[in-house]
Amino acid sequence: MTNNSTSRPRVALFVTCMVDTLHPGVGTAAADLLERHGVDVIFPEKQTCCGQPAYNAGYRKDARALARHFIDVFWPLVDEGRIDAVVAPSGSCVAMVKRQYPVLFETQDEEYRMRAVQLGEVTFELTQYMVDFLGICDTGAGFSGKVAYHPCCHLLRELRIDAQPRRLLASLREAEIVELPGADECCGFGGLFALKNAEISTAMGRRKADNLKASEANLVVMNDVSCMTHLNGILEHEGHACRAVHIAELLNRRDEGDGG
Amino acid sequence: MTYDPAEARRAILDRLRGALSGPRPVFRDRSHLSGAPGTPSAVTGADGDRRSLAEQFGVQLEEIYGTYEILEDATEARARLVQLVTDWSTEEDAEVLSWASRALPIENLGESLEESGISLFVPEDLHDESTRARAARARIGLTGADAAFASTGSIVVASGRGKSRAASLLPLRHLVLVPMSRIYPTFEAWLHTLRQEQGLGSYLRVSGQIVFITGPSKSADIELNLTLGVHGPRVVHALIYDDAW
Amino acid sequence: MAVDAGAPYATRVRQALADDGMRAALDRATGHLRERRDRAIAEIDERRFRDEAGAVRRYAIQHLPDLLEQLEGNLIGNGCQVHWARDAAEALGVVLDIARENRVGDVAKSKSMVTEEIGLNDALERSGINVVETDLGEFIVQLAGEPPSHILAPVIHKRVEDIAEVFSDKLDIPHTTDPVELCAAARRELRNEFLVADMGISGCNFAIAETGTICVVTNEGNGRMVTSLPRVYVAIAGIEKVVRSAEDAVLLWQAASRNATGQKVSVYFSMSSGPRRRGDTDGPEEMHVILLDNGRSRILERGYGDATLCIRCGACIDVCPVYREIGGHAYGRTPYSGPIGAVLTPLLDYDIHGARDLPFASSLCGACRDVCPVKIDLPRLLLDLRSVVVERGGSPMSERVAIRAYSTAARRPVPYRALARLAGWLRPLAGLLPPLATWKRGRSLPRFAARRFGALWRERVRDDEGGTE
Repeated sequence: MTNNSTSRPRVALFVTCMVDTLHPGVGTAAADLLERHGVDVIFPEKQTCCGQPAYNAGYRKDARALARHFIDVFWPLVDEGRIDAVVAPSGSCVAMVKRQYPVLFETQDEEYRMRAVQLGEVTFELTQYMVDFLGICDTGAGFSGKVAYHPCCHLLRELRIDAQPRRLLASLREAEIVELPGADECCGFGGLFALKNAEISTAMGRRKADNLKASEANLVVMNDVSCMTHLNGILEHEGHACRAVHIAELLNRRDEGDGG
Repeated sequence: MTYDPAEARRAILDRLRGALSGPRPVFRDRSHLSGAPGTPSAVTGADGDRRSLAEQFGVQLEEIYGTYEILEDATEARARLVQLVTDWSTEEDAEVLSWASRALPIENLGESLEESGISLFVPEDLHDESTRARAARARIGLTGADAAFASTGSIVVASGRGKSRAASLLPLRHLVLVPMSRIYPTFEAWLHTLRQEQGLGSYLRVSGQIVFITGPSKSADIELNLTLGVHGPRVVHALIYDDAW
Repeated sequence: MAVDAGAPYATRVRQALADDGMRAALDRATGHLRERRDRAIAEIDERRFRDEAGAVRRYAIQHLPDLLEQLEGNLIGNGCQVHWARDAAEALGVVLDIARENRVGDVAKSKSMVTEEIGLNDALERSGINVVETDLGEFIVQLAGEPPSHILAPVIHKRVEDIAEVFSDKLDIPHTTDPVELCAAARRELRNEFLVADMGISGCNFAIAETGTICVVTNEGNGRMVTSLPRVYVAIAGIEKVVRSAEDAVLLWQAASRNATGQKVSVYFSMSSGPRRRGDTDGPEEMHVILLDNGRSRILERGYGDATLCIRCGACIDVCPVYREIGGHAYGRTPYSGPIGAVLTPLLDYDIHGARDLPFASSLCGACRDVCPVKIDLPRLLLDLRSVVVERGGSPMSERVAIRAYSTAARRPVPYRALARLAGWLRPLAGLLPPLATWKRGRSLPRFAARRFGALWRERVRDDEGGTE
């Protein structure tokens, strides 16, 4: 990349609350990937949570408060022209901002609804941003083993993002991409659903685990740490060897001989 | 609490009008709202000359477990009909539950079947108990088709004078005479023609009932095992013939 | 172990998940239906099909009162008797009155969810009227003494072995698991019912306002039997079933067929525009149409009109990963299950609370929205209903407290970080904390990271600055 500093894309990273507290490595990988491809990354430290857990559980007031906070953190950066995009390593949280924020402020607060719409227009999921905006098809990463891709529901059906992560995975060195039966079926996480309807949630997760076993994958890759956490919980509990990983971490793996 | 029909009617309509004209939108998702929609377009197409439409009709009917033959003209269809009924009438109850001869698309069909020793049972009133019992015994039903559709293998039968509903419903085998002139490419083309020509509304209202029939009666209720002839006919056999001259 | 549809939600779910036979049957059946649907949809221009079907339904709901009046006028003009019923009690009263006036002893019924909704069979039987369900699947559940578990395939929860049991038990026929023989037995049994019934009752798939026509969709032919053979025919139509024209009805018929079973069209589509005409051989002497509200106008008042667009194809049920695990009876005493059931059931209740668990019985995966032929945004409706339940205090206290604490803390960075640290410390106490204990029952617990991303980032920025300077 030979971009001079004025034309380098500037991105605010929204890592999401689950990455922040449970899987910070995913955030680091996302930042690495963006920076290595010529992006100026900033991390607004006041960020917390997009409010999706409260929203999906029916707590609109609480969700609205968190959404306001999110907008207060990110919208001024966009408004003042300090960033070109907000990027998050999550389909679900991006869908929350793009699809649900306008609903949340629909009849409540026109000013915030407008800001939500403006912010939604420049908020992207990591792999979508990498492929569609940065034109990356290959990150130079490799993995020796069988890899299955699980399209997370909100990524696939709210944001319609599917080709981008698959394209990036296809470039993995040495990896064999295997077909996952019932790939686009929900893993059973569903936010608070995983607790409120725990037995149904784990039944759905076990079905996904069985399909993973049938696919003989060593790794199952996805774009949301929420589904990943749930699936790893199931896989570990059921004694499967396969593990779920976030796509950013896999794409950020450097070849051993890389020397860098 | 007594039921006052007029009051119930008014209350429902008032409530609906209130909801629809109130300040609160009736739909959550307003992204799909538009003005009055146009006439729906055909879901699946079919085209070609009458011969080709006849063949497509037959192929579609076969796909859903019906059977068909394409015959040159009414005379050939008549002969084939006599033969089929003779072949199928091995049991003692050899009666054919049929539309009245004048309602069938081939002229004097009843008479020529009688000449071949086949008697048509054309019931007068199915609410009469002995008539109903006799109709229920028939193994073969014979009807015409008011319209047929190449894209789906469906036929339309309309109830009316001499056109019993039972003939296409009660027997295990349904023989249907399909003149090529009545085969339309699609439902939509037929509805369009009716609307243009004679008024779709009056067509639907003249008959007590019109029925689209698409192959034999079937069910998959028992663990998705397909079974034919659940309540209606197990066999639907179409005799398609060219009625152009 | 069967599911008791009258038990509390948690019990129903537990019973359902423990019923391996049912889950095996559901798995096979829903998988098969999904495949058939996918094939049928691949043949056509799906986008246009859904746009048109959605537009036709939305138009009908927006013009509901006018279309209903037009329908009524045309039905009467066609010789029908039209009755309006605000609720189940009024509808049942009308049916019983018609039955009494005609000295009806036997009723043959075609499958109809709206009659399940109002509890028609019980009401008829209590008045000493014999009522027989004539749809094969519905006949089987009636014999088994169960409610239907799917709006289209009422006996989808039973395997052929289970059905064989029911038949040999109740019909006095030799035990057989051959579907053809089972079906033949049902044909014999029900044929007689059709011939003796004094009254036929059906639901209504579409009511055409322009011509005054009631449309009934079946594959078996029972819809034709009940509308043709008995002296009296009663159609019960939810008021939302009205459509503008025959063209619209034919479009929706095709939409329902392709999405329900993957057929181009169902075997039969009966369009009844009144009693038999003078000189007709057969057909009912009287035709009654009951236009039933039973909560539908309230759905519009509450702004959930999207739910009234439904054409009951069942596609959302067949793709639902939750339905696949628990089946229809787990949704309780309601004929409507799956995603659309989780929306309609609480909405049809006077008090949304009666079915407050149902809107939460979804992982919001969105598969239902993608298949709906009239483009109902089901996840949106589920989310909105959840917020109603919460606003009315219908969520558990512990959950309210937890969410309030979380969202209060997460509104500001400092308390948020403190809360995250606290969560990390609490991990060893997982067995004592209800949510973590619930999680742990079928899943291993995740580990909280030693250091948050925020901390890693600060270090990274420092290193960078050190490195470049």
